[in-house]
Amino acid sequence: MDLLLDSLHSAFLLLVSCDPELLVIVAVSLEVSIISTCIASLFGIPCGFLVSYSSFFGKRFLLTCLNTLLALPTVVIGLLVYAFISRRGMFGSLELLYTQKAIIIGQVILIIPLVTSLTIAAISRIDNRYRKTALTLGATQFQMVLVIIKEARYGIGAAVIAAFGRVIAEVGISMMLGGNARGFTRTMTTAMALEYDKGEFSLAVALGLTLMTIAFGMNLLFHFFQGRTWADAV
Amino acid sequence: MLYKADRLTKVFAGRKVLDIVNFVVEKHKIYALTGANGAGKSTLLTLLAFLDQPDQGELRFGGSKVYYDRDSLLQVRRQVVLLDQYPILFTGPVWKNVEFGLKVRGVKRRQPEQRVSEVLALVGMEKFCDADARKLSGGESKRVALARGLAVSPDVLLCDEPTANVDEENQEIILDILKRINAETGTSIIMATHYLSQGRQLADHSLILSHGKLSGRGHENSFRCNVMQERDGLLLCELNDSCRLHLEKQQDAELSGPCRVYIDPAKICCSQGVSPISANQWTGKVLRIEQAREHILLTVDCGLKVKVQLDPSAYQEQNPLVGEQIELSIPGDSVFLSPLYNS
Repeated sequence: MDLLLDSLHSAFLLLVSCDPELLVIVAVSLEVSIISTCIASLFGIPCGFLVSYSSFFGKRFLLTCLNTLLALPTVVIGLLVYAFISRRGMFGSLELLYTQKAIIIGQVILIIPLVTSLTIAAISRIDNRYRKTALTLGATQFQMVLVIIKEARYGIGAAVIAAFGRVIAEVGISMMLGGNARGFTRTMTTAMALEYDKGEFSLAVALGLTLMTIAFGMNLLFHFFQGRTWADAV
Repeated sequence: MLYKADRLTKVFAGRKVLDIVNFVVEKHKIYALTGANGAGKSTLLTLLAFLDQPDQGELRFGGSKVYYDRDSLLQVRRQVVLLDQYPILFTGPVWKNVEFGLKVRGVKRRQPEQRVSEVLALVGMEKFCDADARKLSGGESKRVALARGLAVSPDVLLCDEPTANVDEENQEIILDILKRINAETGTSIIMATHYLSQGRQLADHSLILSHGKLSGRGHENSFRCNVMQERDGLLLCELNDSCRLHLEKQQDAELSGPCRVYIDPAKICCSQGVSPISANQWTGKVLRIEQAREHILLTVDCGLKVKVQLDPSAYQEQNPLVGEQIELSIPGDSVFLSPLYNS
């Protein structure tokens, strides 16, 4: 109990004093997570839209695959990407391994299925009359898509927030592809794992508190969006 | 000629929901499309709005064949607006909804504001300009949806049950607006409705859909019946215990068993206190008298509610009153039989 209280006290002091190492770790975490979420959203939202509004052979199978990929362990993605970007890998010459770019690649692969699946769910809840109404009022296909995205914005927003929450809290990809290099690829989760190994709990707890605060903020936003979506549906 | 359809069919899940051999709609007219639930009214309107394409057949619009590639579709779609039975308004204020069609057409900034005010005033919703579109009542939503459609000045307005789920006051307002639009701007209107009286009041022509097929007759007085062959070659058509018809065999079919019978209201003769000569005579009480364009329409309760159409001179001559007993004479040429279900 004393250990926990001492750790909490030290962590609180680190947070209040804005410890530079802590700030760098938080900044790296936020940077890679925001970039990977943006890339995954740019790819996943249009994909979700395409899958929702097109009918093709194997659509059900694709949806099943997407749902399966939601449960993909981060270490599996880490291994897979490692195989491609390590020196002996296909893209070894690009020297991506142990860089932030490598973490971003892994995280994008992790959350694209999540963004796509949640976008499909958000769009499929949108009444088909929006599509018909936009078209009969003279909208082009692109303008119709914008209408649907606007109407599904809360659901899509929730998908993006959920994806961000997933990447900021993951540890496997960051550790395997980033290498936990201090000041460069050390994220909150990898730093916590390292500090735990060293038996230094203060920084680990401070990072844990920061991570939980960010996760709590994300969840608040998520519930806000979901609440708006349900309120609109009622 | 506005629309011309030739052997138009639409199939859903292996079932032919629309099968129209020939269909012509003229410009600047109001058409009422009547039929029971599932008759294919909404499917036909969706095809006429170019929101779906037929499985077979050819549709011509404004004299030209309709092609279903993206560019051609956009061109024809922008001349037609379909008002849904349950219109959905976009999130945001009313004015933004009404402006939508103008915005997607790239109409310059100031013009939409003027047009939005004009059409909102036309439907009596100008006070709701800044209101949240999602918080309007059913009738108000329909009027805003109508304004949204009218804002783009379409050549054709297709209305799917424009007065469904709307109170009587709003029904009158909506029908009045449709009439005015047609008279003032020449916009052609095709209106699907269950209410035959609405069709009569408003439409220049009535189109009747039954099981996906257009029928030129029978939009009034359509009843289920049981047909039996009689020894002398006649058919006995039993509508209920008190309403029977003796008919000569019709050319098209050997009908027997459950069928549908249509009785042309314009050919029914009515008389007071005079025994009709025809064998097909029913007695009933006048329930309602109404004016339908240039005709007078009586609703007579003979066990079935039978509509009788009189021209004004015949009406003045006979002067039937509500509650009065009258005799109806149903001539053989006013009766059409058809199978109950068309496959």
